[in-house]
Amino acid sequence: MKLLVCIKQVPDLESRFKPNAEGVWYNETDLAWRMNEYDEYAVEQAVQLREKQGDGAELTVLSIGPDRVVEAIKKALAMGADKAAHIQDPAAAAKDPWQIASIIAAYAKDKGFDVIFTGMQSQDRGSAQVGVTVAEQLGYTCTTTIVGFEYDNGNITAKRELEGGIKGVVKLKTPALVTCQLGLNVPRYPTLPNIMKAKKKEITTIPVSDLLKEDAMATTASFHPPAKKGGGIVLEGDVGTLVDQLIAILKDKTAVLR
Amino acid sequence: MEATREIYWNIGHGVVIPMYILAFAAFGVLAWGFWKRMPVWRQGKALDRFDRYDERVKRLIAEVFSQEKIFRIKDGGIFHSLFFWGFLILFAGTMLVMVQADFLTPLMHVNLLSGEFYKAFSLVLDLAGLVSLGMLSGLVVRRFVIRPKGLEIVRDDYIVLLLLFVILATGFFLEGARMAATELRQNPQLALFSPIGLLAAKLMASMSMDTLLITHKALWWFHFILVLAFFCAIPFTKLRHILTTSTNAFLAPLEPKGSIATINLEDESVEQFGAAAITDLTWKDLFDTDACTSCKRCQDRCPAYATDKPLSPMKVIKQIGELAEGNPSGNLIETVSQDALWSCTTCRACQDVCPANIEHVNKILEMRRNLTLMEGAFPGDEVRTAVSNIEVNGNPFGLAYAARGEWADCLDVTTMESGEEVDILYFVGCYASFDKRNQQVAKHFITICKAAGIKIGILGKEEKCCGEPLRKLGNEYLYQMMAQENIELIKGYGVKRIVTTCPHCFNTLSRDYKDLGLDIPVEHYSTFLSRLIADERLRLKPESFNFTYHDSCYLGRYMDIIDQPRSILKAAGGHITEMDKSGYDSFCCSAGGGRILAEEKLGSKISEARVAMAQETGAALLVSNCPFCLTMFEDGIKTGGAEGHLQVRDLAEIVAERIVV
Repeated sequence: MKLLVCIKQVPDLESRFKPNAEGVWYNETDLAWRMNEYDEYAVEQAVQLREKQGDGAELTVLSIGPDRVVEAIKKALAMGADKAAHIQDPAAAAKDPWQIASIIAAYAKDKGFDVIFTGMQSQDRGSAQVGVTVAEQLGYTCTTTIVGFEYDNGNITAKRELEGGIKGVVKLKTPALVTCQLGLNVPRYPTLPNIMKAKKKEITTIPVSDLLKEDAMATTASFHPPAKKGGGIVLEGDVGTLVDQLIAILKDKTAVLR
Repeated sequence: MEATREIYWNIGHGVVIPMYILAFAAFGVLAWGFWKRMPVWRQGKALDRFDRYDERVKRLIAEVFSQEKIFRIKDGGIFHSLFFWGFLILFAGTMLVMVQADFLTPLMHVNLLSGEFYKAFSLVLDLAGLVSLGMLSGLVVRRFVIRPKGLEIVRDDYIVLLLLFVILATGFFLEGARMAATELRQNPQLALFSPIGLLAAKLMASMSMDTLLITHKALWWFHFILVLAFFCAIPFTKLRHILTTSTNAFLAPLEPKGSIATINLEDESVEQFGAAAITDLTWKDLFDTDACTSCKRCQDRCPAYATDKPLSPMKVIKQIGELAEGNPSGNLIETVSQDALWSCTTCRACQDVCPANIEHVNKILEMRRNLTLMEGAFPGDEVRTAVSNIEVNGNPFGLAYAARGEWADCLDVTTMESGEEVDILYFVGCYASFDKRNQQVAKHFITICKAAGIKIGILGKEEKCCGEPLRKLGNEYLYQMMAQENIELIKGYGVKRIVTTCPHCFNTLSRDYKDLGLDIPVEHYSTFLSRLIADERLRLKPESFNFTYHDSCYLGRYMDIIDQPRSILKAAGGHITEMDKSGYDSFCCSAGGGRILAEEKLGSKISEARVAMAQETGAALLVSNCPFCLTMFEDGIKTGGAEGHLQVRDLAEIVAERIVV
């Protein structure tokens, strides 16, 4: 059984973000990097499935980006992935979800993966498009925002998280792709023997130019902090009107009243 | 008539050979008993505790004969020490009789046991016997009548105490029988030099000579057999502590307090980390379990035990011993339990007070290493998050590492990156860098240094967590990663001297980092300021205040820094009211052992217990000099209802307010 998990290295969200020189994305200085949170659930689920399948199974972890993403790849290997593909691209951040998905699909198309795991969305761009697009390009069945996953002989039963806390149950047949949501599992903390073993696992480096044949479908026009809002509003008039006005504002502008 | 006595009177010199044969047999049993025990210890891993032999022997002799660790705790300690010296004198006296009878008399024709010396000898031995008997009675009353809480009574206690009591009693009665038959009639003046024997003799004075002779002989043999039984019992009962506990004074570590084995992570052949079975511990760890006499002093001092957590350091040692003896393949961690293991704050109170030199803390750390490194276990999700934060941003708060130096922005502090020369590197630590309350301490420290004309440099955003909480939780891997990065930076900048305001950073940089290649002087600011004041580089204008002082575990017990903070506070105008548990007896704030990252879910709050102790002194101000203690006490004051009654402040704040420029 062949499994693939796609991860992205993102900046830690506590970092201070400043626009880069071109003003179209964030500046990379003084940022702390980590594996995208949703991808951690994907890696954990992929490892759990791989462990259940035993010796016949193999899990590959893939990531696109400059050399720093190897750290995130190593973490996935330490969690239990067997090998890795590093699509080397110093300008990965400048690519749109269509291009990213195309790169992954180009890599995966001849490999015969039975199940592909991705995170629901990335914490920096948050488009939530890459997973679904990869599935579309590969012709795989797909379901998103899963919070439950079961596999039995080519059949996947997934629980999806929908609006309002409702869960939906979806059944798919492999080959399939699932995007993972918070609540799916608790990612394991890599044990030291596994961290040591990970150092010896194979990481194949592929230059992005080998795989990317698509142009961007969307360009990022501007990356800037939100405009500073004005100060407060002063309500004047008699109490009855003030109360109505205030309730209206609370209803419209805040989540205080439903 | 000459003051002496006929050795072997009424027993006959024919007894000598059988006596020696039986004695050797008893020693044979003694040796065999320990020989049989050795395979139990040998199950543990190798460890060299035989280096620097002469230092070890000196320490052994000093500790055993002075009994200083025993009478440090008065309850039971005074009784035991006096009993020990009494019994030692009796033993020495008996040896002297043997030397006289079997060596001095036949070979050198010299009688040492005569005249004034004999009178002194008799008196000293009688008094020693009386003291021993009295102390033994006191110990019996303590154990069986007073019954201190937590003191277990087991089968061995009955056997040992009864045996010792009967040995001493028969000793006096057989002396009495002899004196009734000899001295009382022939040399009553001499009898006064054996006052207790005299009392016993008077009780028997009415017996006929025949009865006396038979009684004496019977008592002599009975006493002799009991003494042999005593020797035979040593390896098989609590009496083993005579040898195991004293040996532990030899085997105790010579490394600085708090030294932890640094795992060689480059060694790819190592597949198992930490201790999951007793075979993962060292032979010394297993030997420790035989040196333990269940005196419960460690348990009495454990802050976790005192607040109803499932940890008892004594119980951990006993559990290890039980597994080593009866179930060596048993799961050590399940036996001790994770809850107990995670409850430890590594305050070292247990090890500090243990009269048997048992090393409790590192056993717990080895088990934690197994939990962390082999199973990825954490005491709670909040700890996992904090550890993850340290990995990503170099601090447990998860705040952007780039902001680490911002507390110093308006203070004109040099960042090492600028390349400027500095006098010392101030290693700020995570709490002083990011926590609002502790940032004040850092700022005050800068103020103080400026007033003293010291040029300070900080690493700013390049500084990472020193790794201490990680190491104490068992995560040796992440600790070494953090440490290597810090060490590379520090060396790269050619730093000559480091000062820190956190005792945990202090311990880690000055001691633990040595194993990883950093060997420059590291000081805690309390000794640093103390010197500045002594050198008159810093002058304080005393402003009177009343306070009580909390000795941080990592400053007091770990580093013996007890006087300097007190003298600084005195120079600042402070009048101290000490808490009961102060100095080496200080009671932990609860944040050590990596627990600063954890929520306290079991038992009651240690910080509240300590705040209550501070309030008991009547002082309205509690002073500490550790960011963890400061944080825990601010918390404990709020949750413990002391707000408005007790304030906690750091030493730096008090000093900074009183600088004379």
